[in-house]
Amino acid sequence: MSEHEGRTIKRPQTRKIAGVDVLFDGEGFFINPLQWTEEIFEVLAHEAGMEEISDQQRMAVHFIRKFYGEQGKSPLNHHLKVGTHMSMAELEALFPGGIKYGLRRLAGLPDPKGCRKVIGWNVKND
Amino acid sequence: MKKVTMKLNGIPNKFIVDEKLVLIDLLRKNLSLTGTKQSCDRKGQCGACTVIVNGEAVRSCLKKVVDLEGADVITIEGLGTPNNPHLIQEAFVLAGAIQCGYCTPGMIMAAKGLLDKNKDPSVDAIKKALRRNLCRCTGYTSIIEAIQLAGRFLRGETTPDQMRPSAAAGQIGVSHPRPWSMMKACGVVKYGDDIIIPGVLEAAVVRSPHFNARIKSIDYSEAEQMPGVVGVMTAADIQGTNSVAVVVPDEPILCAEFAAVLGSPVAAVVALTREEARAAAAAVKVEYEVLPRVATAAEALAEGAPKVNPDPDFPNIVYNAVLYKGDAEKALSSSAHVVEEKFSTQLVHQACLEPEVAVAYMDGEGEDAQLVVIGRSVAVHLHASIISVATGWDNVRYIEAFAGGQFGIKTDVTSEGIAAAAALHFKRPVRYTPSLEESMLMTTKRHPYSMDVRLGADATGKITGYGIGFIAEKGAHASVGFVIMDRSMDMLSGAYNLPNIKAEGKLVYTNDAWGGSARGAGPPQTNFALESAVDMMAAKINMDPLEFRMKNSLHPGETTCTGQAVDEWAYLGCLEAMKPLYAKACKEAKDKTNEAIRRGVGLAGASFGIGTAGDISYVSVELDPDDGLTVYGSVADPGEGNDAMLTQIAAHCMGIPREKVRLSTRDSELVPDAGFSASSRQTYMSGGALVYAVEALKDAMKEVGAKTHADLVKAGKPTRYMGRNQLNDVTGVDRETGQGKAWGSYVHGAQLAEVEVDTKTGEVKILKMTTVVDPGRIINPQAVIGQVEGGADMGAGYALREQFVLGKSKDWVTYKFPTIAMSFPKETVLLETPRDKGPLGATGIGEFTLVATHPAIANAVYNAIGVRICDLPITPERVLSALGKK
Repeated sequence: MSEHEGRTIKRPQTRKIAGVDVLFDGEGFFINPLQWTEEIFEVLAHEAGMEEISDQQRMAVHFIRKFYGEQGKSPLNHHLKVGTHMSMAELEALFPGGIKYGLRRLAGLPDPKGCRKVIGWNVKND
Repeated sequence: MKKVTMKLNGIPNKFIVDEKLVLIDLLRKNLSLTGTKQSCDRKGQCGACTVIVNGEAVRSCLKKVVDLEGADVITIEGLGTPNNPHLIQEAFVLAGAIQCGYCTPGMIMAAKGLLDKNKDPSVDAIKKALRRNLCRCTGYTSIIEAIQLAGRFLRGETTPDQMRPSAAAGQIGVSHPRPWSMMKACGVVKYGDDIIIPGVLEAAVVRSPHFNARIKSIDYSEAEQMPGVVGVMTAADIQGTNSVAVVVPDEPILCAEFAAVLGSPVAAVVALTREEARAAAAAVKVEYEVLPRVATAAEALAEGAPKVNPDPDFPNIVYNAVLYKGDAEKALSSSAHVVEEKFSTQLVHQACLEPEVAVAYMDGEGEDAQLVVIGRSVAVHLHASIISVATGWDNVRYIEAFAGGQFGIKTDVTSEGIAAAAALHFKRPVRYTPSLEESMLMTTKRHPYSMDVRLGADATGKITGYGIGFIAEKGAHASVGFVIMDRSMDMLSGAYNLPNIKAEGKLVYTNDAWGGSARGAGPPQTNFALESAVDMMAAKINMDPLEFRMKNSLHPGETTCTGQAVDEWAYLGCLEAMKPLYAKACKEAKDKTNEAIRRGVGLAGASFGIGTAGDISYVSVELDPDDGLTVYGSVADPGEGNDAMLTQIAAHCMGIPREKVRLSTRDSELVPDAGFSASSRQTYMSGGALVYAVEALKDAMKEVGAKTHADLVKAGKPTRYMGRNQLNDVTGVDRETGQGKAWGSYVHGAQLAEVEVDTKTGEVKILKMTTVVDPGRIINPQAVIGQVEGGADMGAGYALREQFVLGKSKDWVTYKFPTIAMSFPKETVLLETPRDKGPLGATGIGEFTLVATHPAIANAVYNAIGVRICDLPITPERVLSALGKK
């Protein structure tokens, strides 16, 4: 590898969780949000270091799933604040990985960067 | 100041004007007559500002108002309205001569100038009259046909009503006029610079004059004191990440430390007027440390080369793409025949006529205020999200304005970043309308590729193996370059069965204009190499190029380059349909060629993938109180015809007239996320989501026996239903091998170029372009033909003349924008093999032409002169050089 090389890719992967073959993109976001179940959420939350899921965490996850399902779009921060009655800082602290890698990922929403979501690849550093 | 009396659109007026004021500014700025457009920085190059003065078509950007004393001026607004259009406006709509609509008012006024004198003009007369009017989307052929049709209307030979499809014709497969075309023909739709916002400030941007530099200091003390200046904004004033990049954070709204490419934005000045902002921007003093420029991929790859991106996470090779199928080395080494060649394609600009305009304002007060951005997005949700993170403001709403061209350029955020950050910083409405030269500097381009190709065939002419190594020059920012590389790979085999492939590509940063999404996005470059090599192999084994293509077409059950087994492959049918047309063209070329003017015929094919892994579109429908239907979804339509697609599918599925279908597609607050209007995906993805949404509504109505909105409400049922279309069976590609299921569907086609080459001048003239295309079930044939034939003009520019040279390409003349003088006749044959999973059997069409046109032309030039030119564009200099080598 020359001095200018330096990039590889993370691949999408399928994992069997709670009896379902769940397809994730390279960053661990659901490719198909309909595969999400409460049981899969609990497994992923445990993996993320959440020993117990609090009512607030569950409420936030349910809010954004409901928003996504009804509106056909991911909530922006403004919608999150209004819908959860929490500040962005509170939401960020509520999940390991914060809002994007915690809340949104555990709730089964696709990566908000739609381009990456669509093509199923991600770039990481060596 | 001077007083000028003139008649404007039939009404006598007196104006007191500055002696320097030009007519376009009087119309647009003083009178808000925004139907008259401007593209070329008032250089008289584009014709978008054409109006009628004393019966003559005149470019209003060149006409001083003080010279118009006593004149009779007619603008597009004076010609007709959507309810009472002029016959020329009717003709443009009915002929399908309107796509984005930005050039349309100027085209129509130029046509009026001609038709007022000559109601039966020849094609040459039309070309002469419109020689200064540029069009990028529609292609010139349909505009010529529109003017001929207008002539027939004016001569009383037919009427618009006779030309309109009847209501009994149904909705699908019928060329109904596109819903927004008449408004575009009348100049009443609002592009970014047309939107009136009281008190809006104007922004101008200070840009780096160096190809690569470090910003040492910015002194705007003098600029701040200049007339009209409200303030100056630098990167330090932006509260968010300051990154508007789609993928990796290497593209700031305003540069903080490094300016990695000529034209990098360094500071923004906001003032009461655009002129004041630009004057103050020129007074901002920036001290730079000029850094070495890495101009080419070869320089970037050299040992010890400076890093283009100073971030240690981003080496000069920003991405590697590979694809391995079978054993290409073994296949090539044991092949009876092998051809080898190097090909290159150039950096080109998508060349939208409209400048990159955006306007932004704060709606409300304090922390609850909403930052509203109106701009040229083709993905309002994604772009609202990017702007929110970049500016650090949580509540962002994006409203898509009408846009003057797209071609991939609007996948990235550009002017919106400046307008949004400035509106937020100054808490005032801000518009940013860059010049054409700036628009060229701030937007993505089509990546240049250099490709080493080997193609093998056995003794019978069956392809055995294919090898390609390529380098794509990224330029200074990543944009979606990774996607472009992957798309090159995922469509590498084009229309053919290539059993063994070895492909390796590198995406390399340089301090140059940066590539991004550009119509076709990857395959146009690699298909040029493949289709050229296919022709070379046919010649080598002395087989007819059409026969060779038929012999090597993929078939259902066989696999593409990614190992994806296909269940349909309509390419062979396209070649069958092409056979008689090809034979006729070959005979004509043979009969008419001579030593001075050599005639040639060239073929190229394309099978273009649509619908990628995980792609999702959401579209919802609402039954309205009058039993009409409103369709909601972020299905941007910068000209392709998504307005017609949604309207005709909705009317067909609901069984209602098109007039009762309403579209809500522009506002991120109102619409679900239908994804990008790019990658030819909207018909396939969002057309499909729309079908599902209507099915959900109809199921709900059936459940309660409702026939009307009133019935549904009475039964307590919702009136709005969501349709969701996701390609769950497209599982994606393993990027370590390039193998996997890449696409949901394909559009197939073949193109036939007929050219003549002047052996004395090296000029290539395209005599005709014939296309046979199979996009599945066709919803609106005229819209499909519009994409194919408009794309052929763009592809011809790519093949023969266009090249973006950073620092030198500054306007449409220096860019060599194709004009009507270079336009050529076209014939399009439509085939319809229904696609199982497409909406009503349809798939997409928008990019197909840009994959096949330029190799078809290159192959025709080879056929004419017997020497292959492997580097685009095929300029007269290259032709003469090739003839010298013969």
